[in-house]
Amino acid sequence: MQIVAFWILLLVFLGAFAAQVARRVQLIAAAPGTIALDQLGSRTSRFLLDVVLQRRTIRERPLTGLMHALVFWGFVAFGGYTLTEFLHGLGIVDLTETGWFHAYRIALTPFAIGVLAGILFLLVRRAVVRPVGLGTKVSLESVVIALFIATLMITFLLTFRLEEASMAGRANWWVHAVVILAFMALIPASKHLHLVLSPITVFLKSPELGNLPNLDFEKEQVGLETVKDLGSKSALDAFTCVECGRCQVNCPAWGAGKELNPKTIVLQTQAALLEGQRDRKLGEVYSEQVLWQCTTCGACENQCPVGIEHLPILIGSRRGLVSNGDAPDYLGAMYNNLERRSNIWGLGYDQRTKFIQSAALEIFDATKHDVLVWLGCAGSFDADFQKSLRSLFSILRAKAIKFGVLSKERCNGDPAKRTGNEYMYQELANGNIEDLKAAAPKKILTSCPHCVKTIGNDYRKFGYDVEIVHSSVFVEELLRSAKAPAERQVVTYHDPCYLGRYAGTVDEPRALLERFGADVKEPERNRDNPYCCGAGGGLLFADKEEEPGSRISDVRFKQLQATGASTVVTACPFCSIMLKGAQASAGAETQFVDLMTFVNGKLTKQA
Amino acid sequence: MILVIAEQRDGKLNRATWETIAGAQQLAAQTGAPITVLVPGANSAGVAGELAAAQVKEIVTVEHAALEPYTPDGFTAALQDAIGSLSPAQVLLPHTYQTRDFAPKLAARLDRALITDVTAAKAAGGETAFVRPMFQGKLTADVVPQGPGPHFVTFQIGAYRADQAARGQSPAPVRALEVKADAAAIREKPEAPFQQARQAVDLSQAERIVSVGRGIKEQANIAVAQQLAEALHAEIAASRPICDAGWLPMERQVGSSGQTVAPKLYLALGISGAIQHLVGMKGANTVVAINKDADAPIFEIADYGIVGDLFEIVPAIIEAVKK
Repeated sequence: MQIVAFWILLLVFLGAFAAQVARRVQLIAAAPGTIALDQLGSRTSRFLLDVVLQRRTIRERPLTGLMHALVFWGFVAFGGYTLTEFLHGLGIVDLTETGWFHAYRIALTPFAIGVLAGILFLLVRRAVVRPVGLGTKVSLESVVIALFIATLMITFLLTFRLEEASMAGRANWWVHAVVILAFMALIPASKHLHLVLSPITVFLKSPELGNLPNLDFEKEQVGLETVKDLGSKSALDAFTCVECGRCQVNCPAWGAGKELNPKTIVLQTQAALLEGQRDRKLGEVYSEQVLWQCTTCGACENQCPVGIEHLPILIGSRRGLVSNGDAPDYLGAMYNNLERRSNIWGLGYDQRTKFIQSAALEIFDATKHDVLVWLGCAGSFDADFQKSLRSLFSILRAKAIKFGVLSKERCNGDPAKRTGNEYMYQELANGNIEDLKAAAPKKILTSCPHCVKTIGNDYRKFGYDVEIVHSSVFVEELLRSAKAPAERQVVTYHDPCYLGRYAGTVDEPRALLERFGADVKEPERNRDNPYCCGAGGGLLFADKEEEPGSRISDVRFKQLQATGASTVVTACPFCSIMLKGAQASAGAETQFVDLMTFVNGKLTKQA
Repeated sequence: MILVIAEQRDGKLNRATWETIAGAQQLAAQTGAPITVLVPGANSAGVAGELAAAQVKEIVTVEHAALEPYTPDGFTAALQDAIGSLSPAQVLLPHTYQTRDFAPKLAARLDRALITDVTAAKAAGGETAFVRPMFQGKLTADVVPQGPGPHFVTFQIGAYRADQAARGQSPAPVRALEVKADAAAIREKPEAPFQQARQAVDLSQAERIVSVGRGIKEQANIAVAQQLAEALHAEIAASRPICDAGWLPMERQVGSSGQTVAPKLYLALGISGAIQHLVGMKGANTVVAINKDADAPIFEIADYGIVGDLFEIVPAIIEAVKK
C-alpha cells in the first residue's frame, strides 16, 4: 500500500519537475548555440575549485560561503542515502539493512549537523539580516526551501531515535520522502534550479573573462538585437542565476548609484525567455541607458559563483544597438576619431612622431631589438602618460634592454570592441595585426592594461598569437636584484580592472612597490576585484551630468583617499586620467604617480 | 560664367556662401569668367543686398513656391530651370548638408559632372583640377571634370576664407529671375525643422575663449579671468574641476565631457592640459597658455606659453589690451 502510494507521489512530483525543466531546456536549445567546450583543462580545474571546493562562494563572503559549502557538501553526501531509501520505498530493492548502509548513515551524521547549521545560518541571513544584494523582498519560497532542508536533516537525525517500523518511524520516513519530492517540484521555477544547473554552467563558462567571439560579417552577424538572438549560454545563465547579488554589489555602476544592476540583467533575460518575448528588442528589455552604463570591468562575471557571463549580453546588446545606429552621441564622436585618425582622441599622428623623436626612440627592428614597446593611444598622445613612458624607457636603458616602437600604431580597438562597434574594432585589429606580423616581435611590452588584454587576448581570435606583457611584470622581473631604499613611504595602489582582474597581475606591482620603499595600504576592493575607475567600455568619454548617481571615478577616489595614504600609484593611463579628474574636482591634495615613474624615481635617487 | 548658389534660410545667409564666393573669385582670376550669385528661396532681399557687396557681376534672386520649404525635389526643379536660362560654365556650392542633399540629384538630372567636398582648385595643363580628400582624408585627389558643362563643384567648409572674398567698388546689381517648376510634383512633405535643445551657451561658435583651470585657486579669482574675457570680447570657459566646484556653470566646461570648441584664440589660464581637456579644444587656431608649472602638458600644444603667475600676468594683459 505504502509502496503504491510512494510510486504515485514520485511520478506526480517527478513529472512536475520534468515538465518545468523541459520547458527551460527547450528555451536553451532554441537559442543560437554559444556553448563551447575548448580548454578542458582550465574548465575542469575551475569546476573543481568553484563547484567542489566552492571557491567563489567562499572567497567573497567567507562565513556565508562556508555555511553554503556545508549545505552543498551535505547534499552531495546524502545522494546515496536518498537513492537507497527511495529504492526501498519503491519496493525495488532493500539495502537499508546492509552493514555498509549502517556505516554510511553514521558517517552522514556530521554532514547532517553541518547542513542544519548552515541552512539555519543562511535562513537568518536571508530573512532577518537581509543584505542588500538579496533584493528588497524576503523571498517566501527561499524560506520554505530552507525549512524543507532543515526538516530533511531533522527527520534524518530522528531515524537514530525512532524504530523504523513504529508509527512514529514511518511518519518520520514519509515526512522526509514527501519533503524531498516537494522540494524537487519547487526547484525548476526558483533560484534553486542552480542546484541542478550551476555545475554545468560553471563548466561551460568561458575560461576567458569577458569572452566575446568576433562577429562574422560574411554571415551578416550584427550582434544581439532581440531576445531570440541571445545565445544558448546566456539562456542557461538566466536559469542558473541564484540571485545572490555578488554581481550587483561588485558592480561599480550600481555602486555609484546608476541604474545598471547585472543581476537585474540576468533576471530580465530569464523573464523575457519564459514569457516568450522572442521578438522584443533588447534595448527595451534592459533599457538602452542601462546598457551604456557598463564599464566592462568584469566584476559581475568574475565574482559570479555559478558561472554566469554578463559581458556577452551587455556588449552583445551594445553591438545590436550600434549596428542600428543607436549609440550615444559621445561614442559617435569617438568613432569618428577612430575612423579618421585611428586614435580615440582624434589627434594627428604627428604628435606621436614628435614624442618618438623627443624620447629618442628607435623604430622596431626584430634583428636589433629584444622587445617592441607598444605606446597605445595614451602613450602616443597624452603628455601626462608620456612622462610615465619616459620613466619606463629610462629603466629599460639602464638595464640595457634593446627596444623599439612601431613607426605607426592604431588604437588597439578596445574602445570600439567594448562599446559594440565590432566592425571598427576588426578594422583596427586587422590593421595592427598586419603591421605587427610584419615587424615580427617576439615580445611586446606596454604600459596599458587595455592593450594587454586586447592584443594579447582578443587578437588571438584572428589567429595572431604574441606574448604581450605589462610594464609592471616586465620591470619587476628586470629589477629583481635591486636594493630597497632605507626610507619608506606609505602609498596606496589602485589595481586597474584590465590588469588585476582580466590579466590577474596583482603581485608584480606590489612586489615592485615594496621593493622600492613603499608600504602599500590596500584600499577597499583590491587585487583581482578592484573597483573600476569608470573609464572602461567607452565611458572615458561619457561622464555626463544627466546620469543618476555619482561619477564612478569619484566613488573610487574616495575609497583610495580613505586609506589615508597621500600618494596613489596607478598602472593604467585611463585609471590615471579618471582618478586625477576626480581628485581635481574634489580639490584634494592627493598625489598621483604612475608605477613606472615611482620605480624610476627611486632608482635614479639611488644612483 | 561661374554661378555660385547661395544658401539662406528665412533671410539668414549661411556664411559658407562667402567662402564659395572667395573660391569662385579665385577661379575667375584664372579664367576671367564673370560671377553670378543665385539666391534661392523666399525673403531673399536682405541676403541679396548683403551679397551684392561682393565683387561679382550680378546677384540673381529666385523665388518660387517650389523652394519653400526646402525639398530636394523642389530645389532640383527650380534650379534646373534657372541653370537652363543662365547657362553657366561652372556651378559652385558650399558643401553644406543642404547641398549634399540636392546637388547630386541636380547634377544627375542634368547629366553633368559633380565634384564634391573640394578643398582647392588648381591649374592643370590648361584645365582646372579640383582637389578633394579620399579615403577618410588619407589621400587627396586632383579631379578634372569631364563632359559638357556646367560642371558642379562643392567646396568644403573652410576651404576658402570668407573674409578673403573680394568686395566690389559699388554694389552688384540684383535682379529677380522667373523660373518654372511644378510645386505639385514635389514628393517630400517636410515637417517643421528639428530644433535641437540649444545649450544656453554655445561655446563652439566663440571666436575667442578665455578658459580657466585649477590654477585660478579660488572662486573669487574668476573675476580676473572675466575681466580679461571682457577686454578681449571673449567667452569664458573652464576645465572640469572649475565647473564641478560650481565656480562656473557646467555649460561652460570644455573637454571630452563638456563642449568641443574651435576658437581663433584660446587663452588657457592655470589649465594643466589633461588630455580630456585638450581633446575639447584641439581645434583652436592659436593657443596661449599661462601656467606656473613649466612641465604642464598644456605647453605641449600651446603656440605661446608663459610660465608664471597668472595673477601677475593677466592684469598686465588686460592693461595692454585696454591701451
